[in-house]
Amino acid sequence: MYTNEFEYLAPTTPAEAFELVGRLGSKARILAGGTDLVVLMKDKLTSPEYVIDIKNIKEFKGIKYELGKGMTIGATTKISEVQYSEIVQEKYPALAYAASQLGGTQVRHMGTIGGNTCNASPSGETPTPLVALGAKVVLSSAAGERELPLEDFITGVRRLDLKEGEILTRFILPEPSPKSVSRYTYAGARDAMEIDCVNMAVNFELEDDKETIKYVKFVLGSVFIKPLVSKEVPALLIGQKFSDALVEKAVAAAQGEAKPISDVRASEWYRNEMVGNLTRRLLKEAFAAAREV
Amino acid sequence: MQTWDKRETEVTEGKSSYVREGVPSYLDERRHSQVGRSVPKVDAAAKVRGEAVYADDMTLPNMLYGKIKRCKEYAHAKIKKIDCSKALALPGVFAVLTGDEAPNKWGIVPHSCNETVLAIDKVRFYGEGVAAVAAIDEETAEAALDLIEVEYEPLPALLDPFESMARANEVVIHETNPDNIAFHGNQIYGDVDKAFAECEYVLEREFKTGMPQHGFIEPQSALASFDPHNGRLHLWSSNQVPHYLHRQLSIVTEIPMSKIRVTIPTVGGGFGGKGEACPNEFAACILSRKTGRPVKITYERSEVFFTSKGRHPCHMKMKIGIDKDGYIQAVDFDNTMDKGAYASWGVVVMFYTGSMVHLPYKIPNVRSYLRNVYTNKPSSGALRGLGGVQPRLAMEVMLDEMAEMMGISPYELKMKNAVVSGYTAANNMYVPHTEYKRCLETAVEKSSYLEKHGKLPFGKGIGLAGGNYISGTAYTLYQNYKPHTTVVLRVDTEGGVTVQCACTDIGQGVDTVIAQFTAEALGVYFEDVHVVVRDTETATFDLGTFASRLTYATGTAVKAAAEPINQKLKEIAGQKLGCRADQLIIKDHKIYSMYETKKTMSWDEAVDIATSTVGTLVGVGHFSPPRRKGIDIVTGNRIQGGNIGHSPTFGFSCQIHEVEVDVETGRIRVKKVTEAGDMGTPVNPMAADGQVEGSIVYNMGAALYEDQVIGADGRHLNPNFHDYKMPTSMEMPDMFINTLKDSYDPTAPFGAKETGEGAVQPTFPAITNAVYDAIGIRFYQVPITPEMVLRALKEKKEKEAGCGA
Repeated sequence: MYTNEFEYLAPTTPAEAFELVGRLGSKARILAGGTDLVVLMKDKLTSPEYVIDIKNIKEFKGIKYELGKGMTIGATTKISEVQYSEIVQEKYPALAYAASQLGGTQVRHMGTIGGNTCNASPSGETPTPLVALGAKVVLSSAAGERELPLEDFITGVRRLDLKEGEILTRFILPEPSPKSVSRYTYAGARDAMEIDCVNMAVNFELEDDKETIKYVKFVLGSVFIKPLVSKEVPALLIGQKFSDALVEKAVAAAQGEAKPISDVRASEWYRNEMVGNLTRRLLKEAFAAAREV
Repeated sequence: MQTWDKRETEVTEGKSSYVREGVPSYLDERRHSQVGRSVPKVDAAAKVRGEAVYADDMTLPNMLYGKIKRCKEYAHAKIKKIDCSKALALPGVFAVLTGDEAPNKWGIVPHSCNETVLAIDKVRFYGEGVAAVAAIDEETAEAALDLIEVEYEPLPALLDPFESMARANEVVIHETNPDNIAFHGNQIYGDVDKAFAECEYVLEREFKTGMPQHGFIEPQSALASFDPHNGRLHLWSSNQVPHYLHRQLSIVTEIPMSKIRVTIPTVGGGFGGKGEACPNEFAACILSRKTGRPVKITYERSEVFFTSKGRHPCHMKMKIGIDKDGYIQAVDFDNTMDKGAYASWGVVVMFYTGSMVHLPYKIPNVRSYLRNVYTNKPSSGALRGLGGVQPRLAMEVMLDEMAEMMGISPYELKMKNAVVSGYTAANNMYVPHTEYKRCLETAVEKSSYLEKHGKLPFGKGIGLAGGNYISGTAYTLYQNYKPHTTVVLRVDTEGGVTVQCACTDIGQGVDTVIAQFTAEALGVYFEDVHVVVRDTETATFDLGTFASRLTYATGTAVKAAAEPINQKLKEIAGQKLGCRADQLIIKDHKIYSMYETKKTMSWDEAVDIATSTVGTLVGVGHFSPPRRKGIDIVTGNRIQGGNIGHSPTFGFSCQIHEVEVDVETGRIRVKKVTEAGDMGTPVNPMAADGQVEGSIVYNMGAALYEDQVIGADGRHLNPNFHDYKMPTSMEMPDMFINTLKDSYDPTAPFGAKETGEGAVQPTFPAITNAVYDAIGIRFYQVPITPEMVLRALKEKKEKEAGCGA
């Protein structure tokens, strides 16, 4: 229950942070909210020599939105801030809702959106809607910046395409199409402090006829080593008129694509059933919402 | 502490509800002013402010920190070698302890005690302690654990009681029990087979219950200080049975009890899990003796799980026979229990499961076959409502099913068979007082059960179940007939009123209740009473917090202790007022003639006179429970284990749960609970309602969410609150608690009985019955997981489709 001895560093500017991260490399871990890292350190699953706390760097936090250009969310923005942000609720409702269902109140006021991604747990709440919404991550270092789609940044269970010296500094979300809707749902044993056994998000848009599906991005969480972007569901749905029969095809396709495991939280069988039932629920919910836009 | 407004109690005298019909108020023994008051618990303010001191908050000069090395490799293995030399060489390490240094066996029940402080020769469950260290700080102690090298020879892990019995020829967990059966017993009352032959309705079902643990928030913590100069040992520990702990400490350390003092600081919940000694307590004491310094050992949450002595998983078969008139004639009960690694409370819990079948319905013929089997899992032990909730699940679910067979309401069937005051069960269990029928009536009426049952839309359901629990035990766990509780009351002008008793408040509220009893018995206010408790040296004997015994036990002892003090004060007042002492009443700080209320003097004046003339007034009171023999009441034959389950009186409860089942996820949500309970006089109604709400939520957890998961190799897979899922505030149902406020047990002190464990009994079956009402699927197992619901719904759908084709 005790961490190893480590040196705590708290830079206040991006430049200081990049210098430290570049110099200390794999000897250091980056601390944001600490709700995952500190637990891992106490369990000695990670024992860094240095901990670089980036939450004092104001450039790395906050939500900025510009009409027509989309949104940037700083990596150290608290989950609760995402949850309660009116503009996030309006433009990216799947993300606001997912944030509201993460952990409990205390965890949401400590944990950060960047941390939730960098923890790279398959059952993470926010990566699923972020991927569905087309989020990119910005990886910054002393050498500059690069952008990457979030689904390419998370490469596996607790694995990231993060090069030495880089820090995830912000997310970029494209301006949502005015007719699109986004929705999120999940299954878990209880309504707080839950680790989802399945979660999923959809970004969904109908043609002007309010029947034909124009665009779908459908992402599943907790059923693969990383957020699973469905290929088959959009292929089935786009260009088709929405119907119960079509939904059932999408349900079967989603179940075919998901690769869930059995663990202490749920069996593979249950997860697979949940993929089916929640896909049905989510698509119908998204369709109903899209007709109202 | 903030003083409660005394005027509030004084004005109650004028209220019409204060006078019982047909009883002159001056003769009414139920005319209480301090019992029945809703007062904040004596420790509430300190807890809310964060000022209450728990064991782990304490430090002593030169204190060391202890840690226990646990076997994380196997659930069953021989210990070939333990090498502590590297740990001892680590700077900051003061001592290391291994099992062979403390070989005396301990356990709550003397005839089956089989645990040692640390494993000797062999580990029997995953996470068992193999060595302990004391070091200058916790980090050093933790580092030292990693330097202790243990060599194991793995043995097959037996994880299921049936497997354990079947493979006993090949793997034995305890040499003393070559069949791997810890305990077994047959209890036959009446002629069950003959009765079944004459029954119109007979049903047989099999049930299975999960492995929940207590979920107290405060992990075990013990601070021991051994004084090498006088050989005395002082232990502060988070424990609910200081006496049994005291006794076992003496056995293990070989220090006489008179040189050991046990003090219990504030306890952050116990629920039975602190109802026996715990290895950290022994290890802290022995390490303190070894080092000459105080040593504190506090468990991490995972250690609480590994060493928890939670509810016994039960594999039960039950058969119930009902005659053509709807009366239960016979019950056949077969229970195979999963003991886990060590004996603990096992024999008691096993026989409780047998005795609990006899109430709350009149059943003339009962047969129980009971066995409790060792496995390589965490030991099962005492958990809130022990031995009751498993057979209660079986019986209440089956009665629900049988009512349907008979075409009547479960309510009607239960009312017809419910026990009444003065009932003697087939096993000689005596129920002096019960309002069980009124519990059923009240809950049914308040919930509109009859209007809703069977009539709600698919996915919504309502379920009824009843239950009862003992209000104290009749016997000590070791052979002895001493009083179970002793109370000393002290009254003088300096200290006012002080009550001493080593009873232990673990959150259930005995500190408050004993103060209310004392105030009532001495005719003063609750706020006047100083409570000296939880200490084997400064307070008098008490057996401990279990079996819902303290309300009855302390109430009886307080009443007896108050008598000599009241007598003295009445004599003094009688002289001054010019009337006979036996015509005086002491109430609300006044002493007055029951016939002429103007003949009155203040209680404080009488105390002043007493203190000045004869000195401090002291009264001693004891409680010894009535003894009842465990016999078949028809034949008079002695029945094995038949003494277990007898109680001075019993509490009763009826619960009606309304649930919603999400048919897409399989999740069950309890939306509303209507409860009606018979606890006799509610001593502190506000706290009592809290107890009942807590009871409901407690077993709602184990009905739907909580279960310890053990892997195929015996590894504990969810030793944390992350994956051991207790309900959160988000899962709370609306609760309507309708305690029978006018219930009064004339045989009980102040009419009061238990409520801390009776109200957990109906929860499993009430939820299970409600789920059946919602989706037409009867579960015979708890917890009912979303996965079970979804599978059952799928099977039902396939079956129905199959029938259609």
